[in-house]
Amino acid sequence: MSGHFRAYSFVDKITQLKPGERAKGVFQVPAHVASFPLTLAAEAAGQLAAWNAMACLDYKVRPVAGLAAEVRFGPEVRPGQRLDLEVVIESCEPDAVSYSAWADADGVRVIELDHSVGPMLPMEQFDSPQEVRERFELLCGPGAPPGRFAGVPEHDIEIIERVSEQRVRAILRVPKQAAFFSDHFARRPVFPGTRLLDAQLGLALHFTGGWQRRPSDARLAVTRLYDTKMRSFISPGEVLELSIDFAPPSEPGKAFATTAVRMNGKPIASGKLEMTAVRSSAP
Amino acid sequence: MSQDEIRKEDIQAVYPTVAKTIADALGCDVDQVKLDVSLIEGLDAESIDFLDLVFRLERAFKLKIPRGKIIEDARGDLPEAQFEQKGVVTEVGMQRLRSFLSEVPAERFATPMKVADIPRLFTAETFCKLVVRAQRAAATAG
Repeated sequence: MSGHFRAYSFVDKITQLKPGERAKGVFQVPAHVASFPLTLAAEAAGQLAAWNAMACLDYKVRPVAGLAAEVRFGPEVRPGQRLDLEVVIESCEPDAVSYSAWADADGVRVIELDHSVGPMLPMEQFDSPQEVRERFELLCGPGAPPGRFAGVPEHDIEIIERVSEQRVRAILRVPKQAAFFSDHFARRPVFPGTRLLDAQLGLALHFTGGWQRRPSDARLAVTRLYDTKMRSFISPGEVLELSIDFAPPSEPGKAFATTAVRMNGKPIASGKLEMTAVRSSAP
Repeated sequence: MSQDEIRKEDIQAVYPTVAKTIADALGCDVDQVKLDVSLIEGLDAESIDFLDLVFRLERAFKLKIPRGKIIEDARGDLPEAQFEQKGVVTEVGMQRLRSFLSEVPAERFATPMKVADIPRLFTAETFCKLVVRAQRAAATAG
């Protein structure tokens, strides 16, 4: 079965739409998936913005991952929950779309993207404009059948350097094959920026899990990303070097770090993250 | 002094913040940023970095800077069809570019030049001038 519009598509229905201005939509997280990382909720919000922008520009171009000035994380999303998505388009031009977006699960804000920017590229490089148009009409009409998403594979990641409470470096091996490549994108497989973010967040959480300086009854959770930038496409099979450098402690219960990703020695992604101590018993 | 003239003092007034913003956007050391350095050829900037840079400059200077402003301002009142044809800058367009990007050495204006390649000319000073113009526009708008 083709993974197109299934394996990495997170909008089931567009419930309100004003092209170039705003949109609302929903995505039902399948109950059968093992987990649904918040980075996928961010992807869902970004995809709703992409649908709006593509419709606004008559499917000649499509946005790709670029910049996110700030992403704020709420509580985890549980399989079976429904995501209510909303986007406000700040500008939609042939070269880029700028937007803010958010997702709620059962009335609780789980993700919020402020001032994200997606550079626009010719649609034909990535997908069939006609198929995308037809999909959009389906989403705006009866909606896509739910339960299409079957989960994502775990990251193949290996820590290569660890400096206590300061720095961690790791190798991320992008899979040569994965279901999401057939959907992201149909004509050109690209490792999704949100999968890369997910790997970085997982690495940060793993690294800080053993820290002494966090409160004994708390764990650190990623609460905010800012100045996040993707500079290059990542093809299947690429080997990436991830690094996270933590700033000296400056605020009780908080940790701040800069993130960087290199591919073939070249910087391809960067950002900053904030982690906050939360009670271990907190959901 | 005409309203359009940008003096060295104007450039120097904004340069430290522009240089730091460029360094932050490109992930390089601020010492690597020189007034005349080409952002693409000297500092490996990608097109996404220009979008990032403009957003960061907006925040740093609390200004609104429309995207594509440099090329738009370079074109001025010249109709688009006279500035470029089939994605290539016309001779009249090149004259406008040379005049507007006066900080760029003449030998870097290779012809024929694709519109998509214009950002290759941009230097740190180009962005200083962009900020100075935006500041003046904001002041004029009150």
